[in-house]
Order: sequence, then C-alpha cells, then structure tokens
Amino acid sequence: MDATNFITLVRRNTAQQPGLSHTLATLLAVLLVLLILVLLLVAGLLFMRQRRRARQHILLPLYDEKRASTSSTSSHRRVMVRPSESIYVYQGKPGHVASSSSPPSPSSELPEIRITFPEEYDASGKRQSGRVVVVRVGDTSIGLEPVGEDLPAYGDGERFQSLDLDRIAAQQQQMEDGEPESSAGEELKAQDQRASVQFKAQHALVVAFFLLLLTFHALAIYLFCSGFLLSRLVLPNRSQCDVPPIELQQDYTPGSIDTGCWHPKSFDKAVVILVDALRYDFTVPFQPRPGDEHPHHFHNALPVLYETSVEQPNNAFLRPFIADPPTTTLQRLKGLTTGTLPTFIDAGSNFAGTAIDEDNLVEQLYKAGKKVVQIGDDTWHSLFPGYFEPNLTRPFDSFNVWDLHTVDNGVNEHLFPLFEADMRGRWDVVVGHYLGVDHAGHRYGPDHPAMQEKLRQMDGVIRRMVEKLDESTLLVVMGDHGMDVKGDHGGESDDEVEAALWMYSKRPVFGSRDADSVRPPLTAKERAVGQIDLVPTLAFLLGLPVPFNNLGQPIAEAFLGMRTDYGNLAEVSRLTAAQIHRYQGQYAKARKLDDSATSTTSLLWQEANTVSEALRTTTRKSSTSESRQVANAFNAYQTENLRICRGLWARFDLVSMSMGIAALTGTFAILAIYAHGIGADRATITPLLLGWGVAGTAAGAVVGAAVGALPSLSLLQLSTFGAAMGGIGATLVGLWPARKILKVPVPRTFWGGLCFLVTGLLCVGFASNSFTIWEDEQLLFILTTFGVLMLGSSLGRASRADRVLGAANSVSFLAATRLSSLSRLCREEQMPNCRSTYYASATSSTSAGWQLIIPVLVFAVLPSAIAAFFGRTRNYQGIGVVWVGYAMRVGLALVALFWVLDAADDNGWITSVSEASLKTSRVLIAQVVLALAFAGGYSIFVLASPLLDVKHEAAQTIDSPPSTSSEPLQTDEPIFTPLNTAPDKPKPKLIIYGYANAHGTRYLLLPCAWLLALQLLQKPMGQGTLALCLVSLLNTLEILDALDQRHSALGPILFALMGNYYFFKTGHQAALATIQWEAAFIPLKAVTYPWSPLFVILNTFGAQILCAIAVPAISVWKVPPKQPGLLGRIAGGMATHLLFYAAVALATVVEAAWLRRHLMLYRVFMPRMLVGIVVLLLVEIVGALVALVGVRWSVGSVYEVFGWPGT
Amino acid sequence: MTTTTKPDAAQLPTKSIDILQTQPSLFFANLQPILLLGTLLFSFRSLVANPVTTLLGLAPTTAIVQTIYCVVCLPSTDDTAPPATKPGQKKKPQKQGQDVWAKVIPVFLSFTLTAVLSAPLLYIIVILFGAPLTTHHLRTLLLALHLALLTTPHLYYAHGLDAPAWLRIASLQSPVDEVYGMSLGACVGAWLGAIPIPLDWDREWQKWPVTVVVGMYVGAAVGNNTRLS
Repeated sequence: MDATNFITLVRRNTAQQPGLSHTLATLLAVLLVLLILVLLLVAGLLFMRQRRRARQHILLPLYDEKRASTSSTSSHRRVMVRPSESIYVYQGKPGHVASSSSPPSPSSELPEIRITFPEEYDASGKRQSGRVVVVRVGDTSIGLEPVGEDLPAYGDGERFQSLDLDRIAAQQQQMEDGEPESSAGEELKAQDQRASVQFKAQHALVVAFFLLLLTFHALAIYLFCSGFLLSRLVLPNRSQCDVPPIELQQDYTPGSIDTGCWHPKSFDKAVVILVDALRYDFTVPFQPRPGDEHPHHFHNALPVLYETSVEQPNNAFLRPFIADPPTTTLQRLKGLTTGTLPTFIDAGSNFAGTAIDEDNLVEQLYKAGKKVVQIGDDTWHSLFPGYFEPNLTRPFDSFNVWDLHTVDNGVNEHLFPLFEADMRGRWDVVVGHYLGVDHAGHRYGPDHPAMQEKLRQMDGVIRRMVEKLDESTLLVVMGDHGMDVKGDHGGESDDEVEAALWMYSKRPVFGSRDADSVRPPLTAKERAVGQIDLVPTLAFLLGLPVPFNNLGQPIAEAFLGMRTDYGNLAEVSRLTAAQIHRYQGQYAKARKLDDSATSTTSLLWQEANTVSEALRTTTRKSSTSESRQVANAFNAYQTENLRICRGLWARFDLVSMSMGIAALTGTFAILAIYAHGIGADRATITPLLLGWGVAGTAAGAVVGAAVGALPSLSLLQLSTFGAAMGGIGATLVGLWPARKILKVPVPRTFWGGLCFLVTGLLCVGFASNSFTIWEDEQLLFILTTFGVLMLGSSLGRASRADRVLGAANSVSFLAATRLSSLSRLCREEQMPNCRSTYYASATSSTSAGWQLIIPVLVFAVLPSAIAAFFGRTRNYQGIGVVWVGYAMRVGLALVALFWVLDAADDNGWITSVSEASLKTSRVLIAQVVLALAFAGGYSIFVLASPLLDVKHEAAQTIDSPPSTSSEPLQTDEPIFTPLNTAPDKPKPKLIIYGYANAHGTRYLLLPCAWLLALQLLQKPMGQGTLALCLVSLLNTLEILDALDQRHSALGPILFALMGNYYFFKTGHQAALATIQWEAAFIPLKAVTYPWSPLFVILNTFGAQILCAIAVPAISVWKVPPKQPGLLGRIAGGMATHLLFYAAVALATVVEAAWLRRHLMLYRVFMPRMLVGIVVLLLVEIVGALVALVGVRWSVGSVYEVFGWPGT
Repeated sequence: MTTTTKPDAAQLPTKSIDILQTQPSLFFANLQPILLLGTLLFSFRSLVANPVTTLLGLAPTTAIVQTIYCVVCLPSTDDTAPPATKPGQKKKPQKQGQDVWAKVIPVFLSFTLTAVLSAPLLYIIVILFGAPLTTHHLRTLLLALHLALLTTPHLYYAHGLDAPAWLRIASLQSPVDEVYGMSLGACVGAWLGAIPIPLDWDREWQKWPVTVVVGMYVGAAVGNNTRLS
C-alpha cells in the first residue's frame, strides 16, 4: 500500500513539476523521507518477527535433543548461588567414569523434570515459598516426588539464579584442552549467537525509542519557546555624531557635540527623574465616572505636573507614556535608553551579563564626554556598568519592597546638593530613580494612605526641583510603568502600561500641535506617546545622535516650540525615520531577511521621502501645512515599522505555548507509563511502541503540514505540533495490544511514594520565587531526608551483612552530601543570607590558593575509593586495575597539575616561564587528559572483558570435604542443590572471583571514564564536589543492594536529585550570570566550534551528565551474570530518571507561562525554566547515546562469558 | 507510613506499647498534648523575639511533662509485656505507691540517655539537614535538645536499650502506638516545619529555628493521638 502511495506521489510530483512552489516541494520531500522511514521501520519489525518465529521453530527440537543427549551421561546440574557471594566455587564436573560407576537407576535414564510451583499464600495470608517437586518417570508409572521444603524456591528470580554449569564446564574444557568443540558446544554456541543478535537488535530499538522520546521533547520545547522566548538580534552598530543617517536638509554642519550632533540642541544639561510606577492617573485631576464617583487615595496627590502644564504650556507638558510590556523595571530601563522593544533574549555578544550591549543614550552621553550621575535604584548599574560618575553616583538596593523610604530619602539627600552653584560643571545629566511609589504599591496597593503620603512627598520633591532649576537644564519626570489594582506590575494590562511623562524647562521652548492639545489629556487613552519616543526626543534635545537601534519617534511638543514650528519637527522626524531605516537595513542584512517582511514600510519610506524632496526643491519658504505633511509621513513610516517589529518581537504566542505544553504533557504521560505502568519486560514491547511512535510522528507531520499549508496558518508550527501530537498519540495507541499488562503508574511502595512526594513538592515549589531561589538548600534537605531514611531502613534489615553495608554507605552518603554543601555560589537574590565559597571571594571568579589542595586530594583519594567499591566484591581485577589504578590516577594527577599551573599563571608564581608557554603547556595537558578519558576510556570500556578472575585448582586428595550440600546451614548462605549428588571424588576446582558484581563493575568503567573529562572541566572546588558526587552514587548503589530496592524508583530519582544538587555545588545557579564561560578555554586556546560550547555544557551540567551515565548501574549492580530481562530493567530505570527531569521541565514551563506577568519572571522563573528544559534534553541525549549505548558493551561482554540468557 | 519495605520475616514485630489503663494515666495522656501545645503557644511571642532563652526556659517544662507522662502513663521496661489481659477480664488493681518509686530510676536513666545520646545525635542530624554549620550553634543545639525530649525519653522508658527494638524503631517497622506515634509525629512535624523558612515573607517568626520547633511540638501532639497498628 505504501508503495502505491509512493508511486502516485512521484507521478503527481512530476506532473506538477512546472508550477510547484518552493514550500510544496519541501513538503513533498519531507513526506517522502518520512515514508521511507516508515517503510524501513515496518521492514525492520517484520524482519524481527520473522526471526523470532524462525528461532522458535528451529530451537525447540534442538533443545530437547540436547537435553536427551546430555541426560544419559550426567544429570542436569543446577546450582543455586546467591548473587552477593562474590567468589563462586565450582567443584568440577564428575567424569563419565564416575557416573557410569554408580549403579544405574531406572529414573536416571530419563531426563529429570522439576516443577516449581509459584508462590502461594496460605489461609492466614502468610506467604509460602513456591514448592518444588520432581517428576519421576518409572517403568510403570509417572509420579511426583516432593523435594525438601528447605530448597530455595525459583519464584524469586532476583535473589537466586540458576547457573548452567555444563556450559561453563564446556568452556573450561575448551580452555584447558583446546579440543575441537563437541556437538553440544556447537549447539550452545549457535544458541548464544541467536540470543546475542536478539539482544543487540532489542538494544538498538530501545535506544531508538529513547531518541524518539527526545524528539517529542525537542518538538514540544521548540513549540513552547517559539511562543515564549521571542528573540531579537542585537546589532553592534553605534550611531556616530558626525555621520547623520541621511543628508541634512537645513544648512547645518553635523558633528559638533557642543551645538548638537545632527540637529541644534536645546539644552546643555538634564535632570531625569524616574518615579517608579508613576501611573498616569496619579498625575491628573480625578475624573468622576459612573461607578467611581469619589477620588481614591492616589488621586490628586501629585498635582504639580498637571498644574504647571496647564499654567505654563510653553514651559511644561504632560502626556501619557505607554510602556511596552513586560512592565518590569529592568526591561523598561532598556526600552527607555535604547529605544527598542523588549524581548526575552537579546541575542548579542554579551549573553552572560545583564549589561546592555547595544547603542543607548547613556553610552552616547558617556562617549560624548558628558558626566552622568545616577542616584537611586541599582538596576542602572547592572545595565550600564562603569558609565556613571563614580564619586557622585549613589546606587540603592531595589529589592526590599517593604521599605518605602530608604531609597527616596537617599536620593533626595544626594540629588539636591547637585543643584547648588558649586556643583556646576561636575555633572551634565542626573538620573534620579525613586522607588517609594512602586514599593508602596507592592506593599499596600495604590488605594492606601501610604500611597497618598508618598505621592505628596514626590509632589514636594518636584516643586523643589522646579525652584532650583536653571535655564539651560531640562527637567524630565516620568514613570517607567504603572501598576495594577493590587499595586503589582509586570504584565500588559492598561493600568500597568500607562505611565506619565512630564518635561519642564525654565525657558519657554515647548509647543503644541493646536489649541485643542494645549491641556494635558485627562485620561491615558488620548494623545499618548510611547516610552521609546523619549529616546530620540532626549537625543535631539541634548544634541546627541539618535541611538542606532531606536524605533521611537520624536515627541511633537518638544520640537514645535512657541511658534508651532513644523519645519523643525519635520526635520527631526526625518532624521529619526532615516536612522530607523538604516537600522532596519542592517538588521535585515544580519538576519538575512528577505524584502517581503518590510515591503509596507519601504513603501511608506519612499512616499515620505518623495513628499520631503518635493518640499525642499520648491524654492519658496515651506508652509506650515506642508511641513506638517512631511512630519506626518515620516511618523507614519515609524509607526508602521514599530507595528511590524512589535508583532515580530514582543508578543507571547499563547497558541504556540499551549501546543508546547500539551506535547510536553503527552510525552510525560508516555514516560510515566513506560517507566511504571508496564508489568512485563519493557524491552519486548519497546519495538511496538517505537514503530507506532515513528509512524505517528510522520503521519502527524504530514497532516499538520497539510493544514498548515493554508495561507493564514503557520506551516512550521503546525507541522511541528502535528508531528509531536501524532507521535505521542500513536505511541499511546501502541500500548493498546499490551493493555493486559498495563497498570496505572502510581507509586505503590513507601520509597515510590516518597519519590513521588518529593518530586511533586519540588515541582510545586518552582511556582514560588523563594523556593526557586533556594533550590540548592532544598535539595540538600531532600537528599538528607533520603539518606536518613535509607540509614534507618538499612538498620531494619534482617541480615547483618545487609545492615552493616547499608548503614555504612548511608552514613558515607550523608557525610558526602553535607560536605559538598559547603561549596556554594550564591545568586544575587540569596544575599545577604548566603556566603559564596566557590571562589576566592564573593567578587572574584578565580579559585583561592588553598583550594588547589582539592584536586590533589581527589587524585590521592578518589581512585582508591573507587577501587574499594570494586574490591568489595573481588572485582578489582584485570582491566579494572589498569583503568582505575593507573590511567585514572595519571589523569587526575594531570588535572591537578593543570589547575596548579592555572593558579600559577593567575597569581604570577612562576616568573621564569613566559605566560604564553605556560598557557601552551596547560592546554596540552588538558588535551592529553581529554584524550585519555575519551579515547582511552572508551576503548577500554568497549573492548574489556568482565572484571573477573578465574582460577583453577587441580584435583585434591579424597578427604577434601564436599562443598555442596542440599541443606543450607543458614538462610543467607549459598545453597547448592544438585539433584543427583555425585559421589565424593577428587575434583578440580574452578574459582571465579568477582562473580557477584560482574555486570555492575563492568558498567562502572563508563562513568569512571567520563568522570575524568568532567573533572578536568571543573574549577578546583567543583572537582571536590564532583568526586563526592561519584562517591555518593556508589554509596547509593550499595545501599540499594542492601535494601534490595534496585527495581524501585528510589535509585533513578535519587540520582536525578543528586544531579541537580551537584549542579549547584559545582558553582552554578539557575541564572545566566553563573555560567562559567572560561571552561571553554581549558583545553583550547581560542573559541572553536563546536568544541567550545560543548566544553561549557560539560562544565555546567557535569553533575547531571555523570548521574545520568550512572543510572544503568542501578539495574545491573550485583545482579547475577545471567539475569534475564536486564535490558528492560535498565530502560525502566532510565525512563524513571528522565521522568524526574521531565516533571521539573513540565512544571517550570507551565509555571513560567502562568507567571508570565510576574515581577520575577526574567530573574527567577525564566532562567529556571531554561535550565529545566536544557537539562531535560541534555540528559535525554546523554542517557540514550552514552548510558544506554554503553549497556550494549558492558552487558554484552558479561553475557559473552556467562552465556546469553534465553528469553 | 509504617510499612517501609517488606518487613523482614526474621524479625518478630514489636508489640505495641499500651498506655496504662488507669484513671490518672488516661487523664494525663489526654492532658499531655494540651500542656505541650499550651506552653508553646504561651511562649510563642518570646520564642520569636528571643529563641535561645525561651527554648532554654521551655526545656525543663517539656522535660517535666514528659517525665510525668512516662511515670503516670507508661509501663516501664520491666513490665513491657504485661500478662495479656483478655478483653473481658477485669484488670488487677495496681499498687500505685510502690510503682512510683520503682519508676524513678528508669525515668532518670531515660532522661540521661536523652541528654547524652539522643540530643547530640539529633544535633548532628539537624546539621546534616542543612542547619547553619558555623553560626547559631546554641539555637541548633537547643532545637536538637527539644527534639530529643519530644522523641526519645518515652521510647527509652518503654523499650530500654533493647537493640532489636531500636533497630525496628529506626527502620519505621515498629507499630505506631502512642509512644512511637509521638516520636514520629515530632520528626515529621519538624521536617514540615522547615518548609516555610525560605519564603520571602520577611516575617519575624521565619527565623531559625522557630518554625521547626513549632512544627515538632504540633507534630508530637498530633502523633500522640494517632494510633495505627
């Protein structure tokens, strides 16, 4: 059916070739690729099925045959071994002579059949272990013979394991004699071959399934972010004083800062007063409305602005001042100084800091040699570091919203002295930022006596300033945003965006368009100006060039003058529009935009220029109405341009965000069901889910694209959404055939419930800025809770060995966790309740000298510690010694050397060697470490055999006591249950060291290899904590063994919690400012793509990466070598691990969308959300491509030795 | 909450401790949570204003309440397993006067152990949970002392130093009777009490360790009245 589709498609393709649009062609190509993919997958599935069927057909008779052939010579021997027993002693197989010498009994001719009954519950509900019976086939009858009840039951496949001794003996014999294999050996080999191929195929499909989940998450996150994080490119261009954007029309020579750069200036100096949250209706007389007849506390309390504007319209004007949301102070200050619209990510060169790195008024003032003084809110200093006069500037902390007066009184105290005569010449522009009104709003809301008092105080302040002002100084009073009825702001409601702007001058320089607009508007709905309009206005009034990226237009009142001089306004409008046009050209070039996006604006631009040219070429003096026409034409261009930009940059796309959230939720559901809702081996139903999922994704993409091809809809968005939802839906449909083994994924055990509770609490906590800010401390609290409970639980274990193992490791876990909590890097919001210890001091980003001890300590202790974990089960053998004992030691020594050299370079300890050669040798060392970790580590990991040691002991004298017994001496001793006890004869012994943890230790080589690379990229303090992280991971593995919880959610969730915890303990926070960019230069001299970003990622998320790589170890730690179903368990563990990160990502995404108007969105919620989604994607990539892929070699190599478990 | 992991078959479940069924015992068992909560409520203002002195002053009160509880309500270690009284059987009259003196020594031992063993251990655990390491030592120590007073004296009194019993207590496998319920309640309450600390409400009562103390007192009072077995 698919083939015919394909053919018709091709036909249609050729038929429509001439008129094929670009989009349609792309669409068809995508469709074809997807169809091919589907075909391939279906073929793969069919192949797999056929293979399985074929195998079943061939296998069964052979198997019986083998049984029959072996049974005549020796009874089938099975040995029960407790997995935690690390040395396994096998007493050699009795020879043919031995069995033939024993008197043959009739039953021994026949294969013995053992039946193990499942576990039963007696009447009182007590569990009885499954009984074992032996079927005896006699000459005349067949009967059941019970086997002693003290034999271990088969039911609990986890603690006991049957080991096929024939197999090992065959291998053994092979090793000894080098004889050609017997026919039985060949059979075994063929069987192994099949099992191995099946394992590898299943493994590949499991990895592919996790990659499919990654795809769903990536699509969901793309959808959400494209609606939430609108980005704008920051251009490095700056406007120059002597380079006007267009040829000047009036006879004016540009380039002089004293008379004005592009246009004659009006003022020498300016006092800019920012009253935070000054809403427009605070400043105008109360207007009774129906339903609102009486003035509130905030009305009529600040009359000075309105009074002056009415009484002296040529000296003052007051207009509504509309902010572009989000109405947070930081974003508003950006708008008020750069003239651009706010976006979430202004992607520029300085991604890390908050400092503005595009053209702005403050920088223009600074470059023009003007002295700028700032007093008040310290946000200005993070935006414009170093631009203010240091000795007059007074920053105040802005985040204590409960304090109404400290900042305001401080501003008054330092601002008014500047008006005195003796301060003349020491400043050119003063920026005073009052916070009291805003804080009163946050604390009490606007309708409160405190607000009235605050506004009255501001009234007095402004009146005093008006008195003290001189003729050449401009006074500007404005609000950066308004406030809603509760006094909060950040969002887009009218009350929040309607601020006030008032300009005042002692000289009568202002004018108005006509007689109607002399008085200030009584509501903010009339004659409003945009906040970005302040930028060109101030620039022209002070004689500065208009900042390169400005989008605002000059405010008419400031340029019309007393005589309503439209010619002047037309000229500044023309200059501003020309600058906007220049900016748009550059932006389109940088973004490689085509002309279609700007077609309407370029039309308006040409129109305005034509009008202007026509006016200029007429020789007569231009009339007012003509100039007015010119000004209006340029303003129309500016307005249209702004409209387009606003649509492009500054709107939450709620539809896209909801699509993303829906897809995230769906993927979360799949993960939850996959991890905890499947009651059988996950690996066997994964192919089914994968097939459905991929087919659904393809179909969904096609449907989405088909719908999206409609002109009014977005093709990309809809096809993405279609792909995500189609895939998710189809995967869920794929679960239908397996519905019998599905269960509702809810926690059923104590540990499961605890994991659920803790994850839930964390996720809910992300809705609060406090909990988000203090996440590191919370994680310590949670991890300690787990540690203490694991300690208690260990103490309750029945076996003393478990008790000691669990308790000792729990204590070590607790100690490691608390010790690493001493490494802290505080985020700004945690101050003053936090002291950074990660670097030498709170203000530096280099390590202290004493911290160099840490890498040396790690070098000295860590390999021995890991070796101890290997050695406990006698697995510190062979390649393990080579890697942990030698390679890792060398690597860590080099890491320590690197950081010593780094410190020596920083502090100038070594003067005899030049800095350049020091750097070269450092980079070389780092590259050697990376090569050792990745090339060396991976080749060892891929090629190594299990960390076992096998020893043979020759046959001893007859009096050696038999080590087999059918009765266990104690419940926790190994139990040997040969069914036909051979007579005591001297036998050769085969001793396997490291039997108990063959899988676990073999896999651990992978995290150890990665650890070396991750250590190199951490600062010394982070190396200590990362080493503690590894120790805690190993402790957890041992505790899980002691508590027998390796199949519960405890391990994977604990690892995820540790990943997040150690993220904070390696000197990071959920804030852009804490990214350690310098990590890119550890193994490189210059920025090189793609390596530099990769190193920064490895540095930032090192802990999460390490923990994710360690996850498969949970499922294979101390399990018997031939344990079947390992792959499904590993996949389940990884899915549980991902479930935690997916929950955090989903919660932070939903909360960021919900709180998109919150004051702290940019500072707290958005960064946490970004960390959440980046970590989710990263852990998914690492989990699938490093951890799960690694399983193939580690589990495979153990199976190669011990035999592949049949399925 | 009680079923942690599969209870290990090798261990016999501990018998739950019943409080004595005498009139004063029942009366005081009901009075005790009221007393504990009452003193806390009474001293809450000063606890917020001056945690160290208030906790110091509160400790003897709690100790006395706990002492009376042990003496009046609980069977001591020696008679942990009283002859099983059948439901219908009438209780033997107890010789009150003799008992009181025979109980003084176990009480004394219980409180010594609480001060010497439990309090330092709990201090370490509180530090592990993230209590300030370099500052506020006295407050943390007093917090640990109060937690010890609320969680352990009655357990020492009822179980003595029977290692298996304590292992079961540590692994939450002990039946949640009134004695253990109170300890468990105090721990859970203290755990929950830590949650409001990071909130940015700027309230005086958010300071260390007020919320935790309140949480554990409330938890102990609630746990005392909970019985799940």
